[in-house]
Amino acid sequence: MAGKSGATPATYSPSLTTSDKKKKPPLFNEDWVRPDGRAFQQCRPAFFRTGAVNAASGSAYAEFGNTKVIVSVFGPRESKKAMMYSDIGRLNCNVSFTTFATPVRGQGSDHKEYSAMLHKALEGAIILETFPKTTVDVFALVLESSGSELPVIISCASLALADAGIMMYDLVASVSVSCFSKNLVIDPISEEENNQDGSLMITCMPSRYEITQLTVTGEWSTPKINEGMQLCLDACGKLAKIMRSCLKEAASDSQE
Amino acid sequence: MEYSSDGRIKRGNHAAKMYIIIIIKCLKTLAFTGMVGLSLGERHFIQGGIAQDLRSDGRKRLTYRPLSVETGVIPQVNGSARVRIGATDVIASVKAELGKPSLLQPDKGKVSLYMDCSSTADPAFEGRGGEELAAELSNALQNCLLGGKSGAGAGIDLSSLIVVEGKICWNLYIDGLVVSSDGNLLDALGAAIKAALSNTGIPRVQVAAGTLNDEHPEVDVCDDEFLQFDTSGVPVIVTLTKVGRHYIVDATSEEESQMSSAVSISFNRQGHICGITKRGGVGLDPSILLDMISVAKHVSEQVLNKLDSEIASAEAEEES
Repeated sequence: MAGKSGATPATYSPSLTTSDKKKKPPLFNEDWVRPDGRAFQQCRPAFFRTGAVNAASGSAYAEFGNTKVIVSVFGPRESKKAMMYSDIGRLNCNVSFTTFATPVRGQGSDHKEYSAMLHKALEGAIILETFPKTTVDVFALVLESSGSELPVIISCASLALADAGIMMYDLVASVSVSCFSKNLVIDPISEEENNQDGSLMITCMPSRYEITQLTVTGEWSTPKINEGMQLCLDACGKLAKIMRSCLKEAASDSQE
Repeated sequence: MEYSSDGRIKRGNHAAKMYIIIIIKCLKTLAFTGMVGLSLGERHFIQGGIAQDLRSDGRKRLTYRPLSVETGVIPQVNGSARVRIGATDVIASVKAELGKPSLLQPDKGKVSLYMDCSSTADPAFEGRGGEELAAELSNALQNCLLGGKSGAGAGIDLSSLIVVEGKICWNLYIDGLVVSSDGNLLDALGAAIKAALSNTGIPRVQVAAGTLNDEHPEVDVCDDEFLQFDTSGVPVIVTLTKVGRHYIVDATSEEESQMSSAVSISFNRQGHICGITKRGGVGLDPSILLDMISVAKHVSEQVLNKLDSEIASAEAEEES
């Protein structure tokens, strides 16, 4: 993209011409504008589609700006023989990134921290009693990452679970906010995430008005936490509506 | 038992077998649901006690077990501390090594946190069980102690670790070890890390004159002059465990096995929140969560005072 502007050299030559280009640190002062021109409390346009993978019992694709995620759900299928007997079902979550997901080429390996977070966010919403002795696998793949991946993965995974027909108490929606001195910025992109003073992520079941998971980093005062939580909960409610309408659409399509 | 011809004993035999099978199944479920095998009566006793604000060890819901701190327990490292809360026993060590700062943040040193749950503490920690718990604890501690991306709310000022900008910095390796586990590991580890950091001495470094602008400046590490860390900004972690409708601080492992969810909140001296993590899958009402935050804030002040005085007396004892 950068190569298109100005006079492009005809042949590729490895030179150090780009070294002084990235010297401008973003200034997060009173009157900065977000890099993508959004208002502080405006989310990126969300796009959801179920049935992205045919082989899976259920799957979903989500796109928030440039963050693109695909989640497939397999099962419920018989738990591995080595597992101990359990009269409730098991949930197995795995999050991985493609090698080309990040600006710096990644390893493409499993992301253990996100996998654990996804598991903790979903287990409270799934009625595990409905599939004893079996396991449900939730595999998430981040195709492209440009900020707020974990909330997108979680929302997308709950949609995929619904698509697979796994019994849940409610859909799980997740939104994060970044804090910059006085300002709260919803649904941050990576550029904002790398400079944030603090972050707050909430995953909740909007219809039940219950928080299943929450992480806070950085320094916050109590009123600020209140404000951030309220902002997230409102956004989660709106996100869940979009997710619900996506499910309805898929259901009415299949009936026709 | 085959001698009876009327079949009554045989039937009884069959029933007994069924009974045994049911018992085995129950035991298996019990073993799965909690690391601590508790009978129904014991579980009711714990839950009832918490509801009546009188826990099985005589504490109230918001009282900590006695806390003791010992510093300088490991001679090979730059700083170390051992913290005991009741029967929970943890050790934290801080090791500083010279290294190169990352290209993205040339003006900051690096801090890495590693936790280890030894299987000598609990057979459940053997293999993957311990690894998973250790990863969860490291993540939670990273969240609660190291602050945001820009460094706000961090317990350790990363820019103080720089020796020569872009070239040499201190890398801090903070290792935690669970020696004995009786619940509330996160709070204990947080306290141990705070104590270990205040015990840490970083050697004074002199950059050889004339080599400052070189690619690899020569440095001279003093063996007898140490710089102390300012640990007043390191937060304490307070974990509130929800059992039934109430929540308690400093849960023992028996009480933890009865929890529906637990929220760990870290506070600094100013009473600001430095990090929150939640354990347990059961959902929480937002208003309860806010209530928990304000209770934790109140408790954290007492814990911070108690911990500071314990650290001070441990340091004094070490010197004498």
